[in-house]
Amino acid sequence: MSDPKDPLVQFSKALVSRVEAGKDAVAAIRLGHGRHVTALVWQSGVVVASEQTLPRQEEFELVAPGGSVMTAKLAGRDPSTNIAILKPAESIAVPAIAAGEAQTGSVALAIGADGAGGASARLGLVNLAGSEWHSSRGGLIDRRIVLDVRLARREEGGPVFDAAGACLGMSTFGPRGQVIVIPTATIQRIVPQLAKDGRIARGWLGVTLQAVAVPDALRESADQSSGLMVMSVVEDGPAAQAGIVAGDIILSVDGTSTHRFRKIARHFGSDSIGRKAEVRLIRGGGVMTVQTTIAERQAA
Amino acid sequence: MSEAARRLMPNERLRVALHAADALRRATLARTLAEDGYIVVGLAGAADVVLADGSCPAGETRIVVALGGNDDDVAGVLPLDADTNQIDAAIRAVAAGLIVRPPGARESGFGAMRETDGQALLTPRELEVLAALAEGLTNKAIARRLDISLHTVKFHVESLFRKLGARTRTEAVAKASERRRRETIVL
Repeated sequence: MSDPKDPLVQFSKALVSRVEAGKDAVAAIRLGHGRHVTALVWQSGVVVASEQTLPRQEEFELVAPGGSVMTAKLAGRDPSTNIAILKPAESIAVPAIAAGEAQTGSVALAIGADGAGGASARLGLVNLAGSEWHSSRGGLIDRRIVLDVRLARREEGGPVFDAAGACLGMSTFGPRGQVIVIPTATIQRIVPQLAKDGRIARGWLGVTLQAVAVPDALRESADQSSGLMVMSVVEDGPAAQAGIVAGDIILSVDGTSTHRFRKIARHFGSDSIGRKAEVRLIRGGGVMTVQTTIAERQAA
Repeated sequence: MSEAARRLMPNERLRVALHAADALRRATLARTLAEDGYIVVGLAGAADVVLADGSCPAGETRIVVALGGNDDDVAGVLPLDADTNQIDAAIRAVAAGLIVRPPGARESGFGAMRETDGQALLTPRELEVLAALAEGLTNKAIARRLDISLHTVKFHVESLFRKLGARTRTEAVAKASERRRRETIVL
């Protein structure tokens, strides 16, 4: 019936074969109540999932490509890059997939798990491929990749392929239902650390902070127009031990101004743990400095 | 009057099936529904709307309002701590074929760290006034609590409205809470 040389037929056939190749890279993580999310078969004994989709539990039921059901233990999660890894009880064959670089305008094929060992597919474009960015949780993501594609909740965590069948990364819901990609480079960087330690270490003071304007009367002595007001202090945390209390306005840490979130987030990387830090703050109408030691952030 | 519009009328007796794992929650919700004039039916019964405490039950094909949960497929999603007016409004809305989402629901998701707009940042004093607004205090009561003049309170409230782009006290409280959610950082 159809003309095999018809470009649209060829295009469609190419997509079908891509999905066929990609379906061995997706597993379903069961969430109960008949619901699931997708995981990406990453390497022998490791599947990667979107951290934000996983409830706080240690073990999950996994539907491997082909449909065999097995348990999978959570082996690490990092909310700052939205990457979680699980170790399935049985080995899953890992398809050979090359890493791809996203380009704005290129075709993007997102694969999800159907929950029964098969795959579901979504076709769209790379709406935007930009530079590195920091997540609200302080993690560094290698590239900003936004897709023009619809995705179901159950498909989040699956691989996104380019036209050549290379993997751009893992699909993830961003704010306002936007579909973004956690780049392959970020997964490659984070997975070994997660597999080793179960988490990504991060510096911690034990405070919840909210940006505030420095009151006019204190602008001059503070030498900046905004700071981070301490809303709560974790008992026995580094900040509490240093005498920091709710209501203090933190102006800088080791000379790094709190005026910009990104700069201060960078100051609390894994290398900051155990380091002494000088915290400059406003308390009771005056500017003062306290000494503290950065600790390791507890599991979120 | 259309069927949809008729269903939005408060005197329409809708049948609601209740799905709640917790017995106490189920009892509380059933009482609330009955007081609001709904006919509470069993889960297996003929219902216009299913009210689910938490996630929607698997395979449910009827119109669902879920308290909590984050399921795109259901017609109504409310926060877990939605009040009785919100539950009532949501049930009527979904029965009339509308979709209900709380503000900020679509905001959730893995996003970028946002730098704050320095011009619109609130001062510590404004945050205190805001906390009092959230409790429903009058200007006079706020002045008494913070030990400042009524004139100063009015000044702070106006500044809050301007910075938050709000026209009413309720709107100011809502916008500030949305902003707090976005701008709170943990170190």
